[in-house]
Amino acid sequence: MLLTSVVIVLREVLEASLLISVLSALSGVLGIHRRWIGWSLLFGLAGAVGYSFGVAAISDWFDGVGQEVTSAVMQLLIFLLLLMFTFLVAQDPGKQRFSGKLIVLVMAATVSLGVTREGFEILVYLYGFSADLPRFITILSGSVIGACIGISIGALIYYLVSALSYRLSLIAGLGLLALVAAGMLSQAVLLLIQADWLPSQFPLWDSSGWLPESSVTGQLLYALIGYEATPTALQASFYFGGLLLLLIVAVFAVRSREQAS
Amino acid sequence: MLLAIMTLTVFLSALHGYRSSMAEVQQLFDSELLDKARLLAITGNGRSVGVEVVSISDQYAFQVWQGDEIFQRSSNTPLTAISNLDEGYQDVNFGRHRWRTYTWVDLARNRRAVTAERIDIRNVLAERIILKSVMPVIVTLPVAGLLIWLIVGYGLAPLRNLAAHLRSRRAEDLRPIPETRQPLELMQVITSTNDLLARLEASFLRERRFASDAAHELRTPISALKVHLHNMSKNLPAGDHDLVQLEAAVDRMGSLVEQILALHRTAPDQYMARFREIDLYQLVQQVIISSYSGFEQRDIQLELTGARTLMSGDQFALETLVKNLLDNACKYTPAGGHVRVSVATDSAGIMLQVEDSGPGVPEEHYERIFDRFYRAGGDRHQSGVVGCGLGLAIVRHIADLHGASIHLKKSSFESGLSVSVVFPGITGNEGE
Repeated sequence: MLLTSVVIVLREVLEASLLISVLSALSGVLGIHRRWIGWSLLFGLAGAVGYSFGVAAISDWFDGVGQEVTSAVMQLLIFLLLLMFTFLVAQDPGKQRFSGKLIVLVMAATVSLGVTREGFEILVYLYGFSADLPRFITILSGSVIGACIGISIGALIYYLVSALSYRLSLIAGLGLLALVAAGMLSQAVLLLIQADWLPSQFPLWDSSGWLPESSVTGQLLYALIGYEATPTALQASFYFGGLLLLLIVAVFAVRSREQAS
Repeated sequence: MLLAIMTLTVFLSALHGYRSSMAEVQQLFDSELLDKARLLAITGNGRSVGVEVVSISDQYAFQVWQGDEIFQRSSNTPLTAISNLDEGYQDVNFGRHRWRTYTWVDLARNRRAVTAERIDIRNVLAERIILKSVMPVIVTLPVAGLLIWLIVGYGLAPLRNLAAHLRSRRAEDLRPIPETRQPLELMQVITSTNDLLARLEASFLRERRFASDAAHELRTPISALKVHLHNMSKNLPAGDHDLVQLEAAVDRMGSLVEQILALHRTAPDQYMARFREIDLYQLVQQVIISSYSGFEQRDIQLELTGARTLMSGDQFALETLVKNLLDNACKYTPAGGHVRVSVATDSAGIMLQVEDSGPGVPEEHYERIFDRFYRAGGDRHQSGVVGCGLGLAIVRHIADLHGASIHLKKSSFESGLSVSVVFPGITGNEGE
């Protein structure tokens, strides 16, 4: 029970803390003030609480698949925002008077959405056990451990990306964001398949034999690179397509910044 | 970072401990099941008629089989066998729960005893026991984190104070850092920094003394040179090429020496300014009168606009500033050109502006033209004017002395440079 709650909460917290740590490290690299983080965290937490209260009504939308569709939309939005962020970084830094503020808005919106989604999942999970006090204490302890591990990994990634040279920071930061964004896109596709909005297909491969998704490593990889043990062709093509797109823009971003410096 | 690494290692080791403790406790529960099964198999006499049903707690269940017949069972088990009656442990489902069972086979008596324990209750129990050992780690870590944060913050305070002390110093302040009440670890840094500051101060002093002493010493021979040249000129035909060249070179040397002396006299860390109330407009007028001949010789139209403007300043320094700006404008404006000087007051302060119609300075050189001996376009300026590149360095010294800022831009003429010196604070001004 404790281990399960550690894994579940770790997965959600890690996704959000990755977004926050990489974006705030890149803020430092690009010379943007980090005031936006506090506000977007607050917005995200408020969003998570609000979403939890409204989840009963939201679930009834679209013939009962409202929750899946809303989650998928949020993840799609995060993907698009990360794409936009990478695109803005790729712009000539000398001509960025307009995009300076826009880039902060994009980062704040990404973190707010990420925290709303992941926070909501954790709240719903904890709420499910709140009636059974002995179990709830176990679940809560596990959740605290999972959250602390997730935040610690996020903090380490932040220090790692910040400590690198300008060029390597950009490469590592944008690379990690590309992986997270592609993972989000693939999850969005999976949710839309579950909601019957996209056709369901046979899995393209099954790697659950040597790396089950439910294992700790599987869950960590799920959060880091969107690992799926049994992805469908649609999911895989969206994942790799999204990843390729972001990586291409990231390469332009690194080159344009290098030339500018 | 330290806290993140600590959290990771402590929590991951706590999880590892939890897993191994969980396995240990499960083993303990298993061995308990085995003992109970063996006990049941031994104690039952097997002679009772029919099935004896015993009520026990919900957590446990048992069945005792004699051959193919059940003769003893707990009330929460069915009449059928709850496991496949093979010796050993099994996980089975009955009574809407999942159970862990152990079957003891006594071949001599042809008897099988099956004991069962509900897995969910057993897990809760096991977790409760283990959580008691994990909980202190979860609770104490934030406290430990807070303590580390406070202690590290306290430990780094002297370093932060030292950094703040150095940051708050003026650039020319090269006094040693106080060595009292400093931690031992910092003493070495402070001693080395003080050594460096002392060496730096000595070298600055040497440089200043050398330049001003040299300039001072050169004044006399230059004056002598000029007298000899004057005498020589009487014996040579007027306009002799070599003589003209020589006179120009001696004049240049003379003005360079004067400029170097002015630069050192007006350096903010050297100059003992005597501030008093001055009418800037009148001061500019006087400087223009004294240097008007230069403009007249080159047929440059000189224009002064403004009104009586009172400000607090040093007479000698301000005269030098205006003179240098005017000399520069005169030097770089071609014959027949324009120079406009204005004194005005606005919300930013008192502004002295000198505009010329010379070739101007490219924007990328704006910052560097205040450097000593820097001349836009190299030693031989495009204008062909010979100079030493100290004029604007002196202007900056005097502006700094008065807390004024200097702004450069293109002049309002077709070409040329506009230099504005903005002095803060107004003590009073009147109409023209």
